Amino acid sequence: MSRSIAAILLSAAALLIHGCAVQGRPFEKASAPPDNAVIYVYRPYHYGSSLLRPAVTCGEDSARIGPGGYHAFVVPAGSEPILCSVEGAETADQVEIDPHTRVYYIREEFVWGVLSGHPHLNPVDTDQAHIEIAECCVQEP
Amino acid sequence: MKLRLKRSLLLSAGLTLAASVAIGCSVQQPAVTPPVAEAPPHPLPFKGRLADGDADAVPPAVAMSLSSNSAVTFSYREELTHDDYHIPLIVSALDPVTYVGAPLGDLGVTAFASLSITDGDRVLGDYTAKVHISKSYSLYSEPTHRAVEQAARVAVRQKIDQKLYRDADRLAVAVAGSNQSLPLGGTSQSAAVGNFDQPAVPAAGK
Repeated sequence: MSRSIAAILLSAAALLIHGCAVQGRPFEKASAPPDNAVIYVYRPYHYGSSLLRPAVTCGEDSARIGPGGYHAFVVPAGSEPILCSVEGAETADQVEIDPHTRVYYIREEFVWGVLSGHPHLNPVDTDQAHIEIAECCVQEP
Repeated sequence: MKLRLKRSLLLSAGLTLAASVAIGCSVQQPAVTPPVAEAPPHPLPFKGRLADGDADAVPPAVAMSLSSNSAVTFSYREELTHDDYHIPLIVSALDPVTYVGAPLGDLGVTAFASLSITDGDRVLGDYTAKVHISKSYSLYSEPTHRAVEQAARVAVRQKIDQKLYRDADRLAVAVAGSNQSLPLGGTSQSAAVGNFDQPAVPAAGK
């Protein structure tokens, strides 16, 4: 009896955790005006990944990206590097992007922390990113 | 039999917790690049009158450059938007780390600020800045919305200040140019130079 209750609870928990993945339109390329860089920040879905959604900021735009989601930042390409940052509960991370009018891909990852996952921003090469981001959905605001 | 089962469950839970803590501690966090040194607050090379905005809620550089009888005017606006995020209660309630102080979400505020510097109909400078600030909360500690809002206001004002300082030389020349073109006893409104349909300078600091 207690085993069946435990099984039901576990299944419910698994469904809940899976239900927290981003449910939006599948990946589609963002259009940007000339003289702008497009930076896709995506967060591949991992079973049991952190449910926190720290805000990612690129240039002056911010977005909270959930597991399995992505956001396209369109940032004017000037002379200064474009700064992308994420601030978790315990740590922060940032990357600098060259201010060129091209497309960049950044993967948001979480590593183990004491009490919560620590977010990291990792620039990814285009070929690998195309495969990974294809499984992500657009992060609805 | 039941007692033994309970003991083994407790033991395995303890070991799992210890392992996760050990893994968490072993991860070496890369140091975040310290922010580029920013200029400390100082007055602008000209004075201006606050035409729109609250004198107690403007960027420090503007506050230090206010004068009630200047022809140059400042118009400053701030907008705040909230975007809090909460882990669903049904998930956090079942998560053991919740009870040892793991974050349950965060309070986020986006501050958008715009500053226009004009001399009559002539736009000398137009600056915008946007920042997002978030503070996480747990079962035992929670920042107030007011504190997060204040942090966002301070950050966005600093950003406007830095844009002003970068553009200070050009602004000083533009203001001096306006003053030179003033006829004796005239006002800037009547004597502003340049084509009124075009700003004196392209919008800067966007």
